[in-house]
Amino acid sequence: MKPTTLKSFCAGISLLVATSSYGADIDISGFATIAAGTTTSSEEQYLGFSNDFDFNQDSLFALQTSSNLENGFSVTAQLIARGRDDWSPSFEWAFLGYEVNDNWKILAGRQRAPFFMYSDFLDVSYAYHWISPPAGVYNLAFDSFDGIGSIYSSQLGEFDSTFHAVIGRNQDKITLPASVGGVEVKPDFKNLIGASWTLNRDWLTLRGGYFQADMTIPVAALDGLTGGWAASGFGSIADDLKAEEDKVWFAELGFQIDYDDIFVIGEFTRLDLKGTGFSNDDSYYISVGKRFDDISIHITYGADDDELENLLANVPTNVAALAPLYAATQGIIANEEREERYVTAGLKWDFHPVASFKFEVTQFEDNLDNQQDATLVKAALVTVF
Amino acid sequence: MINNLFKVVALVSLLVCSSVQAEIIVVVNNANAAALTKNDVSRIFLGKMKKYTPVNMSSGNALRAEFNKKALKKSSNQVKAYWSKLVFSGKGTPPKELASDAEIKAFVASNPNAIGYIDSASLDGTVKVALTLQ
Repeated sequence: MKPTTLKSFCAGISLLVATSSYGADIDISGFATIAAGTTTSSEEQYLGFSNDFDFNQDSLFALQTSSNLENGFSVTAQLIARGRDDWSPSFEWAFLGYEVNDNWKILAGRQRAPFFMYSDFLDVSYAYHWISPPAGVYNLAFDSFDGIGSIYSSQLGEFDSTFHAVIGRNQDKITLPASVGGVEVKPDFKNLIGASWTLNRDWLTLRGGYFQADMTIPVAALDGLTGGWAASGFGSIADDLKAEEDKVWFAELGFQIDYDDIFVIGEFTRLDLKGTGFSNDDSYYISVGKRFDDISIHITYGADDDELENLLANVPTNVAALAPLYAATQGIIANEEREERYVTAGLKWDFHPVASFKFEVTQFEDNLDNQQDATLVKAALVTVF
Repeated sequence: MINNLFKVVALVSLLVCSSVQAEIIVVVNNANAAALTKNDVSRIFLGKMKKYTPVNMSSGNALRAEFNKKALKKSSNQVKAYWSKLVFSGKGTPPKELASDAEIKAFVASNPNAIGYIDSASLDGTVKVALTLQ
């Protein structure tokens, strides 16, 4: 950790603790993942790992403070420092909670969007069997948002039901794919609205979610191309290549079976980004495991298919003036296409009441370009405190 | 020889009997009339049923590991993982922890909604049995 980073981390902590001077009890808890990984041959790159041992990519350290104020109000803040961000800490969440009654809780502020089964505790590796959830599914542009959340828990017959609705916005910086510049930009996902519904009974959990937003992502690298299409009278293609307040949606279905020592988990997701110049994405995984006292073993199969719709259907192919635009757009469509498969086999050893050791091997296959195939080996120590 | 065999059998049965584990009893306030099922107790200690205020043995306590297994059907690590999901999503806080049967009885005796568990040998008139875990 750099001294300046350490200083800002400490400043963050004292900020978190500052409310204690008003007399409310502050609970401080935290979690950490120290992970190391490497691919198995020198040309291979996968999920930010290469053939040199990397200790930063998946490592993180987090502190959470929460405080119950009077009358059903509470304050929760979570500060995470990630190795891949040079350990510079940032507030993952900071929200005010209000318990309307035993069943209904409202959250206001920066919080996690319940996109996936593991969204709520995405970074708390101790709480699940992998080192991190399958990247082919857990790959949206953002995980947290600023706004209002409403969590309603009730009993429906034999099932515990949780209905989590959100409304808000996210404008966190993202890095564009290398094919369109690889630069950092500030997107805007506004009018984000959606909900997830979880049903749990004994060994069975079922959930589904639907979310939509108006997406804007400035991609300077495409300005020439979109300008060209507009000038040639194909304004609709220019529009379809630009992500400007385009309505996008995301849906998820998941299940979890935890019966005796066997667990089976699956999630399917669909991301629809029509008209934004970014691909639609269907992905899923299924994971099976077995616990033997302190040791669990598991295996996961996943698939990730991306496709950009054919924007060129109505463009004549025999017009020479359009040929460069046509070729460039075909290039983008080809570039956005993905057909990826992966298998992860792993082990988790609970060697201590609040710490686990994890080991995983992932075999990744790119069906469209086998030059991208890779084998990734990872090990991690994870803890909560 | 036969005499010796008797001695061995007697010794073994003594060892076996003394290693039989203590019963865990789930206790509530004397003013509490509710009868609870194992499923209720599990839901209360996992934060799903909020009518009661559960109180836990401090971590590392042998009775707690036994309770986790019998009432919650989870290993201690699984229970810890379960609570970390709720704690780190701001959705819940695990039960308050106390160090001994005496402290748990005192807490339950003074809080009408409280629920705890103790070794059956520690039972006295200050609290009431809601369920016996075999």
